[in-house]
Amino acid sequence: MGHCILTVDDSSTMRQMITFTLKGAGFDVLEAGDGVEGLEVAKGKKLSLIITDVNMPRMDGITLVQRLRALPEFKFTPILVLTTESDAAMKQKGKEAGATGWIVKPFSPEKLLDVVNKVL
Amino acid sequence: MSRWFSSSAATGSLPEPDPEPSQPDPGLRRTLLLLATREASMLEGQVNFLTPELLQVDSLVREAAGTLEDALKTLNRSVTQQHLLASEIQAAQRNSLEGEESETTASGGFDAMSSSIMGTIDGFVSHMTEISKSTTQLVEQVEDIRERSTRMENMLEELSEIAGRTHLLSLNASIEAAHARQFGAGFAVVAGEVSKLADRSTALSKTIQEQVSGTRQALERTDAHVQDIASKDMNVALQSKNESERLVQALQMSNWIVRDLVSQLEENARNIATQVGHVVRSLQFEDLVHQTLMACLKELGNLMEQAQAWRMLEDRLAKGEAEALALASLEATLREIEANRTQFRAVKSGSLAAGEVDLF
Repeated sequence: MGHCILTVDDSSTMRQMITFTLKGAGFDVLEAGDGVEGLEVAKGKKLSLIITDVNMPRMDGITLVQRLRALPEFKFTPILVLTTESDAAMKQKGKEAGATGWIVKPFSPEKLLDVVNKVL
Repeated sequence: MSRWFSSSAATGSLPEPDPEPSQPDPGLRRTLLLLATREASMLEGQVNFLTPELLQVDSLVREAAGTLEDALKTLNRSVTQQHLLASEIQAAQRNSLEGEESETTASGGFDAMSSSIMGTIDGFVSHMTEISKSTTQLVEQVEDIRERSTRMENMLEELSEIAGRTHLLSLNASIEAAHARQFGAGFAVVAGEVSKLADRSTALSKTIQEQVSGTRQALERTDAHVQDIASKDMNVALQSKNESERLVQALQMSNWIVRDLVSQLEENARNIATQVGHVVRSLQFEDLVHQTLMACLKELGNLMEQAQAWRMLEDRLAKGEAEALALASLEATLREIEANRTQFRAVKSGSLAAGEVDLF
């Protein structure tokens, strides 16, 4: 069975670019527009990886990571943060929340796939 | 704000009120108030102008990004289709030349096939040469048999002549036996038997002569056919060889061209895939621009609030509120706006180069 990856970003362009890249490499992809929707979509699904933005309406990415880590089924699921934020302090927040890695936008498809394959 | 509290804006703190303020000059106060009001109006005007402009930029960028996304997907589908076609051509070429179970490359298979064809043709020509040699020998043997037949015919003619003479001799013997009357009776019987033998010999010679003649005619026809074959088979074989070589060379050329074209298609697909990667990265400008514009709009909102705070000061003073209280209220509002500004986060990246990756 193939890997299913959830991407959470309030930018439709970003979601499409991530989906385009991942589907092109043979992954199944689910999309959500913010943290709240991301949490709803994730619940009950068997996800191999979650990629989330930070700055989003309703629920930001750091909170989403914390909420997901609180759920037993996502305790060990890799979660990558893909954001424009590059501050060390913000990265530290992500790390403390339980993120697996931090990617600063924009991403190159090659690099993203490289990281995805590393954490899967 | 910067003109009103010029020394404090940079540090984020406002000056403490003078404990013993001197009596304000009504004229100066009115001038300052007018300036502040005008500044506030200008700020409001600029914010009102810039806000829809920035929203329009955001909308245009989003629309352009949407169009580019669609184009990218279409392009990607076309490239994928092209790649599949190239693979199919290559696979079909390989299968037709080598069979599906072969592990050699298509080019190796074609070269092997060419060698095999040429080897087969060479073998065929060699075989035809052997047949030609045999045919020549056959012609010689047929000629030999024909000569022997001719000699046999001559001998048979001689035999017929002997039979004729024998018959004549038997007649003479019979005549002589008749002259001898009863003494020649036995001789007459012998002469009669000799005559019969001569007749049988003549009939047999004639029959053999007819058979030999038929055989000679059959040999002549065979000789004609064999000579015809001998003269034709080598030419046909050589022509076939030349034609086959020409066809194999044409096939080889065609194979090289197809291989080259497929190779170019693959190279093209790789280049396009690289460019698609750049497009995917660059298209993220929409998100970066959107976030930057949202940050600018938020800052414009701050400016609008500042302008409104200054207008409020004017209103309060106009309503006769104590100057100190009105200023304290303004200061509190400006501090609050400043505090909110510290939460503002603009996009840090100044380029579309791929960002850094950090795995924890």
